[in-house]
This record gives sequence, C-alpha cells and structure tokens, in this order.
Amino acid sequence: MVKHNKNQITLMQYIFLIHGVQVGVGLLTLPRELAEIAGTDGWISIIIGYFLSTVAGLLIIQVMKKHPNGTILDLITHYFGKWVGKIAALVFGLYFAFLASIIFIRECLFIQFWILPQTDMFILMLLLSIPTYLIVRNNIKVIARYSQLVFFMTTWMIFFYFSPLKEAHWLHLLPVVKEGWIPIFTAVKVTIFSFIGFEIAFFLYPSLQKKQKASAGFIIANTLTLLILLTITIVIFAFFSPDEITQFKEPTISVLKIVEFKFLERVEIVFLSFYIFVISTTVLPLMYSTVFCLSQLFGAQNHSKFVGWYLLLNLVYIMFITQTFDRNDQLSKLVQPISLFLAYAFPICLLIYVSIHDRIKGRANL
Amino acid sequence: MPFFRRYKKEKKNQLSIPKQQNMPSQNLISSEIVENIAEIQDIFSDTPDLVVKNFVIKQINRPATLVYLSGLTDKNAINNDVLKPLLFEVDKENADLEVKVALGQIKETNTWKNIEDAILQGNSVLFIDGRTVAYQFDTQGWPQRGIEDTSIESSLRGAHEGFTETGSSNIALIRRHIPSRELKIKEMTIGERGKIKISIMYLADVANPEVLQELVNRINKLKVDFIINTAALAEYIEDNPYSPFPQLFLTERPDFAASEIFQGRIAVVVDRSPNVLIGPVTFETFFKSMDDYSVRWMAASFLRFMRYFGFFAAIFLPATYIAVISFHFEIIPLKLLLSVGASREKVPFPPFIEAIIMEITLEMLREAGVRLPAKIGQTVGIVGGIVIGQAAVQAGIVSNIMVIVVALTAIASFIIPNYDMGSAIRMLRFPMMIAASLFGFVGLTVGLMTLIAHFVALESLGTPYGSPIAPLRFTDWKDLFIRFPMWSTVKRPESTRAIQRKKANPKLPEGEENW
Repeated sequence: MVKHNKNQITLMQYIFLIHGVQVGVGLLTLPRELAEIAGTDGWISIIIGYFLSTVAGLLIIQVMKKHPNGTILDLITHYFGKWVGKIAALVFGLYFAFLASIIFIRECLFIQFWILPQTDMFILMLLLSIPTYLIVRNNIKVIARYSQLVFFMTTWMIFFYFSPLKEAHWLHLLPVVKEGWIPIFTAVKVTIFSFIGFEIAFFLYPSLQKKQKASAGFIIANTLTLLILLTITIVIFAFFSPDEITQFKEPTISVLKIVEFKFLERVEIVFLSFYIFVISTTVLPLMYSTVFCLSQLFGAQNHSKFVGWYLLLNLVYIMFITQTFDRNDQLSKLVQPISLFLAYAFPICLLIYVSIHDRIKGRANL
Repeated sequence: MPFFRRYKKEKKNQLSIPKQQNMPSQNLISSEIVENIAEIQDIFSDTPDLVVKNFVIKQINRPATLVYLSGLTDKNAINNDVLKPLLFEVDKENADLEVKVALGQIKETNTWKNIEDAILQGNSVLFIDGRTVAYQFDTQGWPQRGIEDTSIESSLRGAHEGFTETGSSNIALIRRHIPSRELKIKEMTIGERGKIKISIMYLADVANPEVLQELVNRINKLKVDFIINTAALAEYIEDNPYSPFPQLFLTERPDFAASEIFQGRIAVVVDRSPNVLIGPVTFETFFKSMDDYSVRWMAASFLRFMRYFGFFAAIFLPATYIAVISFHFEIIPLKLLLSVGASREKVPFPPFIEAIIMEITLEMLREAGVRLPAKIGQTVGIVGGIVIGQAAVQAGIVSNIMVIVVALTAIASFIIPNYDMGSAIRMLRFPMMIAASLFGFVGLTVGLMTLIAHFVALESLGTPYGSPIAPLRFTDWKDLFIRFPMWSTVKRPESTRAIQRKKANPKLPEGEENW
C-alpha cells in the first residue's frame, strides 16, 4: 500500500479529475438526444440524472472508506481473494479500455467531421496518440495536474454560450412538464450516462490527500458537471425551436455558428479545436485506469509499456475497421449496460456485502 | 593475425604508460631535501613554468626549497611575504615558520598527492631539509577580469555587478548579500582531470535538505574528465535531458542568486565559470527579471503579462497564421481575408514554405549578429532588415503579412528575459509550424497538448516544474502574472520546498503616527 503514498493528489485535482472525465464528447450531442425523447423538458432529466449519480458516487466513496489505502482492486482482493481480484481487474480494465476507445474514436470522428474532413482517421488518431502517450505513461499525479490545468484553460469556452442568448426565446422552455413526466424519466437513461466517468473515484480514492473530504469533493465535481450540462442544454433549448434541435447532429457546436467577432468568424471551428482539450480530460484518466488495471492484472510495476500497446491496438483497430458515427453509437450502446452496472449497481451490492461481512466478522471477533 | 596481436599489445602498452604516470603518488615526503627536489622534478617533468627556488633559511640556517607555478601565483606575495622574511630576517628568539611568513593560511602536509594538488592550484610549497613536512602557502593569484556589468541579464536599476571567472570571488559576491551564518557552503571537487571546485550555497534553516541531498548526490555521481562551465554541469545533472526547457537556472547576477537563496533555493558556484546555477526552479522563474523588483509593482506586473503573451505569440503566432491561411480561412472576416489575399497574391509558395523561409532567415540573422563584433553586427541588421525584408516582399517571395508575423514573433521571443528559455521558445515554434501546416488548428491543439503534457510531467531536482500553474498553488500566484507588492508576499513559494515557509515579515507600519 506504500505505492500510493508518493502519488498523492490534492482535493482540487481530485475534483477536476472527476469533473473532467464526466464532461467530454457526450456534451456535444446531449441536447439533441434529450430533445428527441423529452422535448424541451430534457433539462429536468439532467437534474434527476445528477441526483442519481451523486448517490452512486457517494456510495462508491462509502465502499472505499472500508479499505482506504487501496484501490477497488485491492478492496476486492481483500474481501474475495486473489482470483476474484484478478477478475475484477480484468473486468474493470476491459470496461475502461472499451469506454476510452469509444470516446477516443468518437473524438477523432468529430474532428474529421467538423474540421478535417479529408484527413484519414488513422492519421488523426496517430496524432492524438502522441500527447496521450506522453501523459498516460506518467503516474496519477501528472494526470491530475493536467486535468486541473486544462479545466482552467478551458472554462472561458462556456462564455461563448452566452452570446446566442441574445436571440433566445425563453418561451420554448414553457410550459414545464408539458408532456407529463414519462418522457422526462425516459430521458434519464440518457442523462445518467452524461455523468458516467465518476467511477474512476474507485481508483482515485487511495491517492487523495484529504480522504475525509472525498464525498464533498465528489459532490462539487458532480455539481460542476451539472452546471455545465444545464447551462449548455438550456441555452440550446432556448435558442433553437423545439423541433429544430433534433435536425442538428451536434447542436452544441451548431449553436456557435451565429457567434461572430470583428476579427473572428466561424467560432465553432476554433471552439471544437480547443474542445479537444476537454475531451482529452475524459480519455486520459480512463486510459490511465485501463493501464492501471492491466498492470495490476499482470502484476507489473510499471504501467507505461501498456500504454503503448493499448494505443497501438487502437490504431490497428481503426486501420482495419472503418469507423462511422453509427458504429460508434452501437458500440457505446453495448457498453452502457456495463457502465450502469459498474457505476450504479456494483457499489450498492459491494457496500451491502462489505457491511454485512464486516458485521459478521465483528461479531465473530466478539 | 600476429601482426594484429602485436599491434594490440603495443596499443595496450601505450595506454598504460600515461596512466601510471598520472597516478598520484601516495608516498610521504622524505626528510632529505635533495630527494624531494628529485621527486618534484619527476612529477612535473616538462613543466617550464615550475619554479624551484633553493635557498637557505637564515633563522635556522638550513637549506630549503620553495616550489610554485609561476603563472598561478601572486609574485608580490611570494617575494615579500615568503621569501623576504625567510631569507633575510633573524629574530632573537627561536620563532617558527608560522610567525615568520606573513600569510593568512599556512598548511602542513606530508603526502605527495597533496603537494601536487597544492602546486597545481597555485599554492607555493616549502620544503625544509630535515623535516618530514612541507608547508603550503596560500599564494594564489592569476590573471583575472574585474567585476563588470552583466551582459545578457542586464538590468536598468538593479545592481551592475556580474559574476567573474573566479569561484571564490563569486562566493564573496553572494555572501555580501547574505551576511548570515546560516549561509552554508558545501564544497566538492569534480572532474578526474579538471578538478573543478564546486560550491553549493544554501540557507541551512530554509533550504530543503532532501533537495540539497538530491543535488549533492547527482553531482557526486559524475564521473567525467572535466566540465568546462556551469552550463555543462547543468546538462549533466538536469532531470530530463530530452526536454526543450531549461530545468536549472543559470544566472550571472549575484543579486538574483542571493534572492533565490533567500527564497530557499540552492545556488551552485562553479569555479572558472561566470555563471551560477540555481535549482530547483520552476517555469515561471524564467519569466522574471531582477528589474521586476526594482520598479513599482504595477509596471512589473504589466511587463510580466507582456512576457507571457510573448511566450505564446512566439510559439504559436506563425503556426496560427499558417493554420488559418492554409486550412481555416473561413474563420477570418471577409475584409481581413481580402487584404491577406491581396498581399499573398504574388507569392507562389504555400504559407508554410513562406514562413519557413522567413523564420530561417531571421534565425540566421540573429545568430550572425550574436557572434559578430558590434561594428559588423550593425551591417547584419541593415542587410537583414532592408535587403531581405523589403526586397523579398517586392520580389514576391514572401507576403507583407508574413514579414509582419515573423517580425512580431521575433520581438515576442526577445522579450523573454532568460536566454535559455528564449532559445527553447524559438526552437519550439518550428514543430508547431509543421503541425499547423499538416493539420491546421487540430495540429496546433495537439502541439499545445504535447507541450502541456511535457510541462506537467517535468521536474527540476524532484520538484514540479510547472508549479504554481500545474500543480495549482494559488498562494504562490502572488509572484506569477501579477507581481503583488512586496509587503504582501510573506511566504516563500511552495515550489522551493523550503522548510521555513514564512519569510521574516517586515511588518507594515502601524498607521496612526506614521502618516
């Protein structure tokens, strides 16, 4: 357990790591997906999703408190034995690997679609792999620093979204709950995935310096995510007419088309180029978790060579299989139930088991 | 084959002979002065600047020999303080040598190794017949430069003295700023042949012992023939040799070195080199100049902003121009686009080639100006500015806008107060230009991301290089972009890892009668 002592992250870094993982490619399409299901009431679903994810996140932290100096893998090994621990490492590793790959590929797809339509996906991914490799091969401390820096580098981008408000029609949002609660609850199944990513708290918890503030930090991170999702969704709902939104693939980018400065037009291209940073804070911690799990699985001290292999695998995959948004959507549909299980159901089960186990053991000791 | 073997053997022999000669003799000196002189002649064969002066000490009436290297010693000291009293003066009482020789430092030694080192460092050594000890006199004195104004870290209002090539006087220059007994100096010698004296200076109650130990270990690990100057030492001991950024600070200003020691950092004085090494440093240190602390804080903050702006402009301005012109011309408004188009109308090259031509020209001009004497340097400026700038535009090789971009970039890179950081920045813009010409804004973003990836992982002597930006430490921002008034910064920066964070706080005047 000594291995985590050197790589400690501050509370602020912990907040921005979790927040960074949550906000990424999903935000670009979220308003459309919400509007398709729940119309302009979709923002209520975001709030419901927020509460659900907060509860799940707090449960994760409660679980981790039972074994504060190790990651979830150490905890599982502690309670279930070595082999279950290995299986958990494999499951988590594969899950994070798929999640990271899907987002990574999606990032390339967006870049190709919006900015560089004639560039080969393979080249784009190769390009993005360079900084990715440079960061992920380091320890969690460096990734935390990166997420923190990028958060402060990119927060100004939210101000772009205030300028479409000049032409907003707030009537679009009214009446609230116009089609009943059923569509809103249906849309929660979309929003719940906007908050996905907080399960890296399983791996961050042991590195956190002030563990007593883990819950507060998690709530802050989640709230930050909520605020950003809400701001952008509401701006878009108010700006586009309710039927129009669904016609845009990425309304989050399209809405910026009307932003113009004296010296700069087509802000969305600059915006999206810079948005790569925001997406990278999703991909990098997920990749780190992947290679961390793998190195635990194989009992390797150093995870840096796994990063290279993982990126190479991605490149090979993208070279031989043509990527489209549809395929990517299908893949993410496949991963969604696993996310749901690992991030929401798994902590509950684990918490119940661990509590009962501890109580029985406590009684036995009496 | 036999031929080869013989050749090999010969080579081996050749190699082994000088090795033996270089082995410092551990033997003790003899009491017979004749033997000692023979030994000295043997050690220093083919050394015409060696002076072996035989004489008789009048006081005790015994033959003695004084040995020294003529170029490395102070002739006055030898003649007046050593030879004169020994040759001519007789006291009634049986006074010993220490009393007679009017010099501060007299050491007794008896091994040949010590004697050899002493002579080579400019001491003079006295052998007396019948004694098994020799006496070392501190008579060092060699041609040296006076203290002059600093050349690359010049300052308007700061002190106008710079380090010289003599380690001991550099130490003195720093010590004058820090008259404290907590200022400790660790001395070590490195270089198998060069034998360079290195003095590590720090405040014992402030500097972090771990960092100090790390530095000492790294210097101790060096197995080299010699290091020619401080920059070479820095290259040997820096954390990441593959980084474009300098990770240790080289300064020629005693006041800067002293102020960094006050902050809890460690200074390394290398003898024979007019620069002092400071570590651990952070990225922002390279954007500070001593003048920031000698002007009012608002003006200083303004300059700081300009420097950081210059940093980004120098790296990204040409790259952005290339990206916009070759990929995203739709993002600039029509009027601007038209004027850019008009100026690029005659140019047959893609923007990247155009930019590379101008940038390379400019870099060559700069380098030519640096190495040339000032009088010819002016000519270079004229050739560069008028002939290349204007003629290239008129000939239609480059566009007017490109010239403006390149000129702005050059100015922006010269605003960085540190030479090493300035060179790093000038170098970095080429990969950025390539990335921008291949991928437009995406290339720029990935370039910046790679830079940040490197930046957040880099360390200097084991402390994060990016502090206080990444890891974020808001308390240290008081001396980052805005230089807050001096009285408001009461803590040393966290990046120094000082064990005493709080500075002795010169309390604010307590109001009331202090109108």
